[in-house]
Amino acid sequence: MILDIRRLPVRRWPAVQPWLGTLVRLGLAAVWLTAGAAKAGDLAAAGRAVNAYQVMPYDVAKVVGAALPFVEIALGLLLVAGLATRLAGVVSAALLAVFVAGISSAWARGLSIDCGCFGGGGELAAGQSPSYGPEIARDLAFGALAAFLIAYPLTRLSVDRWLAASDAPAGPTPEEM
Amino acid sequence: MSKRAAQKEAARVIREQLARERRRRRTLWTSIVAVAVLVIAGGIGYGVYAAQHKSSFATPPGSVANGTGFATGSGPATVDVYEDFLCPHCKEFEDASGSAVEQLASQGKARVIYHPIAILDGASTTNYSTRSAAAAGCAGAEGKFREYAKALFAQQPSEGSAGLSDDQLVQIGTSIGLSESSFGTCVRDGTYKSWVQHVTDEASAAGVTGTPTVKVNGRQVQPTAAAITAAVQPGGSSS
Repeated sequence: MILDIRRLPVRRWPAVQPWLGTLVRLGLAAVWLTAGAAKAGDLAAAGRAVNAYQVMPYDVAKVVGAALPFVEIALGLLLVAGLATRLAGVVSAALLAVFVAGISSAWARGLSIDCGCFGGGGELAAGQSPSYGPEIARDLAFGALAAFLIAYPLTRLSVDRWLAASDAPAGPTPEEM
Repeated sequence: MSKRAAQKEAARVIREQLARERRRRRTLWTSIVAVAVLVIAGGIGYGVYAAQHKSSFATPPGSVANGTGFATGSGPATVDVYEDFLCPHCKEFEDASGSAVEQLASQGKARVIYHPIAILDGASTTNYSTRSAAAAGCAGAEGKFREYAKALFAQQPSEGSAGLSDDQLVQIGTSIGLSESSFGTCVRDGTYKSWVQHVTDEASAAGVTGTPTVKVNGRQVQPTAAAITAAVQPGGSSS
């Protein structure tokens, strides 16, 4: 049996894409909810994790560290609901870009820190080596999910879709127009 | 094109324009709602942090002028030692270099300030870092900070455990001659927990991002006896 794998996905794409989008949306939501929840339990530690990057004064790092976990959780909830999906994708991509820039900068300056991405953070103990490469690769993979949602924001089981459906005219009544 | 067809075409164009307008407004409003949700969430985060973070704190008597630690000895150089009582590398540092640093203080070469900070509360199930540092504050208030700190390192619990209980923290104190009544009450009440927060905050503001961190005259040096001793020598801290 010969399966033409080049044609099959193309034909099914319109049907598959909204459901694939739902998976991507929920996957990215899980990332943000996990990351936010891991840090929200100790906001002072989150502030210290930001401070360990040494890119801003501690007074600013404290505020960023306290606000970020809750922003991540809110972003996760927006994605779960599928509300303003494209905007949530753009904000996700922007946050991830900032994270990648921060990790790269720590790497370039020779700092030895834990990224603090999912809790923890701060300077690594002697003898521990940082894993900046995998951390950046992971963020780029999450960025790919965000990019998908920016490209295809209308997904199944979403508030966006529900709003679009309920906003459409009741029926085809061209003569009234 | 017939008149009928032209009318239908015009109606279709108008319909599409109206649909676009509705879509535009829908996107605008959902975006406003989403941005508001994100901004409010950030505000809530800061509010929670501010509520958890006490601005007032009780400084144990006998601590240094800015209340961020306990000093021993005196000398031309200043050595700042930042430690978390749960940090295994701090215990290693104490075992390997603790007495050499104490000698610098006792020989009049340096004033050594010990800052008990709590950055590993997440690494025990009972916030051992904060509890033990607060207990060290209680010991310091009765003039036995350093003795108590060394006793804590000697009995350091492992990361990921529940740490020592408050009763055990009190016992360690009584074993070095602190009184069950005053010291015990101080530990069990957590009198100096807010002070530990202050010490930790000031350390972060001073650029401390891990433990052990040692500074000589404000410059960070390797936490080894050799590096600290070299930096304490006149002219040594410029290296």
